[in-house]
Amino acid sequence: MSEKSEIAIRADGLVKRFGAFTAVDGVSFDVERGTLFSLLGVNGAGKTTTIRLLTGLLRPDGGHAEICGYPAGSTDAARLIGLSPQETSTAGNLTVRENLIMTAKIYGFHDAAARADNIIGRLGMGEFAGRKSKHLSGGLRRRLSIGMGIVTEPKVLFLDEPTLGLDVIARRELWTFLEELKKSVTVVLTTHYMEEAEALSDKIAVMANGAVKASGTLAELRTVSGSAAGERLENVFLRLAEGGERR
Amino acid sequence: MKERMYRISAFAERVMLELLRDPLSYVFALGFPLVMLIVMTLLSESIPPEAEMTVFRIDNLAPAVYVFGLSFLMLFTALLVSKDRTEAFLVRLYISPMSRADFLLGYTIPVLILAVLQGSVTMATAFGIAAFTGDSLNPAGMAAVLAVSVPAALLFIGFGLLFGVLFSDKTAPPLSSVVISLSSFLGGMWMDLSHMSGVLVMLCDLLPFRHAVDAGRMALAMSFDGIGMHLAVVSAWTAAVYLLAIPAFRKKL
Repeated sequence: MSEKSEIAIRADGLVKRFGAFTAVDGVSFDVERGTLFSLLGVNGAGKTTTIRLLTGLLRPDGGHAEICGYPAGSTDAARLIGLSPQETSTAGNLTVRENLIMTAKIYGFHDAAARADNIIGRLGMGEFAGRKSKHLSGGLRRRLSIGMGIVTEPKVLFLDEPTLGLDVIARRELWTFLEELKKSVTVVLTTHYMEEAEALSDKIAVMANGAVKASGTLAELRTVSGSAAGERLENVFLRLAEGGERR
Repeated sequence: MKERMYRISAFAERVMLELLRDPLSYVFALGFPLVMLIVMTLLSESIPPEAEMTVFRIDNLAPAVYVFGLSFLMLFTALLVSKDRTEAFLVRLYISPMSRADFLLGYTIPVLILAVLQGSVTMATAFGIAAFTGDSLNPAGMAAVLAVSVPAALLFIGFGLLFGVLFSDKTAPPLSSVVISLSSFLGGMWMDLSHMSGVLVMLCDLLPFRHAVDAGRMALAMSFDGIGMHLAVVSAWTAAVYLLAIPAFRKKL
């Protein structure tokens, strides 16, 4: 690996304003390689804006971010990241296989077909490979969306609410896949589901009002929030995010 | 450069597949001009010669219907881009090494190919109609229509890109319909502007649509004197629309 840093992601005092509204207000955290890091927060807490800053989709008004040592938004960083946005974001009239091939080609890979077939196998979507993505169920479209995020073999994968709107079974299937996935890639996850973050995360950051209220392992968050040992993440989150909906 | 072309062609291939797999492409881009030609020819046949109305004669009609058909490509392009934005498909790809200009090319090239296909179908149908009605069309002139209509095709594609990037998939189609109507009424497609004067004609001269139609008619007649002015007006509009679309892509995405 040619990347410069052992830290996969470094956010240092990130600020993003939209007019008078400050969406992200001095966000800082580090994400170590090969871990799954969850960003939690109520709607409007600044999770998606933070992801957009880290992926280079937005430019910060203050602070800076690095992906594997490269400035977020640079061409070097862009080659190292994958993204599965909040929306399903696949090409509806293209098949599962065509969607994957197209994504790999856009990143300049000449072995796009082999990569697509490999991902189809990992996703367990062999029987759906020739199906247009608009004809897939919500769960399968999400899985394809993640597949399009990893077909380029990124070092860091951003998943913005990947299980939003999925039924319990589809969500659990995706969890299993994410468990497997985090062995090979650093994952940043935003989610509203506390049990999801609790089951999958190595470290968690709780955001409110555009700022990180606390970050660390679940045990560390319990300590910071004054929660009892064994307290569920949902209760810990509520204590930490108290006042998060005030703006 | 080679790598860049590889990426653009991958995206263009996706756009082409989306278009080819959408039944509306066949209905509006290919079927509609064909039906228009037949219906207008029937209309022309019912107009008495003493009315001296030549606008529906096949040599005048075919280039006009082609330009009118091109305006529907604006609608397809606007819908495609706005849907890609709404469904965050472009957000995913915007973190890729592709530049904004690459995306514009990736959208433009396949729609331009569809435009040429549309023109070929329109001209072939017009040729058949001409043979049926006892008129004749010059095949070289028909090929020339396709060539001189490229700036017009790019103009409508550019409008589609602009509307698609600025507006949602709910707003972009009605706006495209406004331009389709404008191009139809102010392009001299269905009325002879040479017999008219006043503000309306001044407006027609300022806008690119009349010039696109006139360039097509001159090309079909293989009469190229003065065609450069018409092409210059259309090209200037096309350049202006693309110059607006590029920063719009940067800003909105």
